[in-house]
Amino acid sequence: MTDLRDEIAREIADNTILVYGKGTKDAPRCGFTLETIQFFNAFGYPFEVVDVLENVPKRQALAELTDWPTLPKVFIKGQFYGDTDILEPMARSGELGTLLESAFAGSGVSPTIQLR
Amino acid sequence: MIDEATIAGMLRATLPDAEVRVSDLTGTMDHLEVFVRASVFAGVSPLDRHRMVERALAPARADGRIHALQIRTATPEG
Repeated sequence: MTDLRDEIAREIADNTILVYGKGTKDAPRCGFTLETIQFFNAFGYPFEVVDVLENVPKRQALAELTDWPTLPKVFIKGQFYGDTDILEPMARSGELGTLLESAFAGSGVSPTIQLR
Repeated sequence: MIDEATIAGMLRATLPDAEVRVSDLTGTMDHLEVFVRASVFAGVSPLDRHRMVERALAPARADGRIHALQIRTATPEG
């Protein structure tokens, strides 16, 4: 369990936007994971998807860590943001655009397409 | 598969004045969008509102009556 927690902490620290989901970017295996990938594709900032579909212990560790039972789970700059149910309203209000701008500020990374 | 009345009943156990609307996303009544308006959501973050809804519906998640769930929340004020 400690190893799993370390692994998760490392993944969260290494990726400004991190999605724990079912399947990969190229082959999502859940409608909500696909939706989350499309959501972040539209923002144009780099993001990582970690497939935990088959990894039951890691899913369990993630659920305990976040008090959030379902996948996908989104972390932005180390902070847990739930899923697109939470992020969609934040995108509409402009809050998410501002958050991502500051999360990537100074990193030399700019979105590859126009922010919506 | 589950129906709106059952979902509303489960939610009102912990969110007594909840106004509940269920949309069937796939025609099978197990991929759902649930809209919940409740006064106890006032001052509660979106993350915690979702946790409250998930917790109330956990039994239907566990036995598979609900396979996929999108959640929208509001307070009586908006």
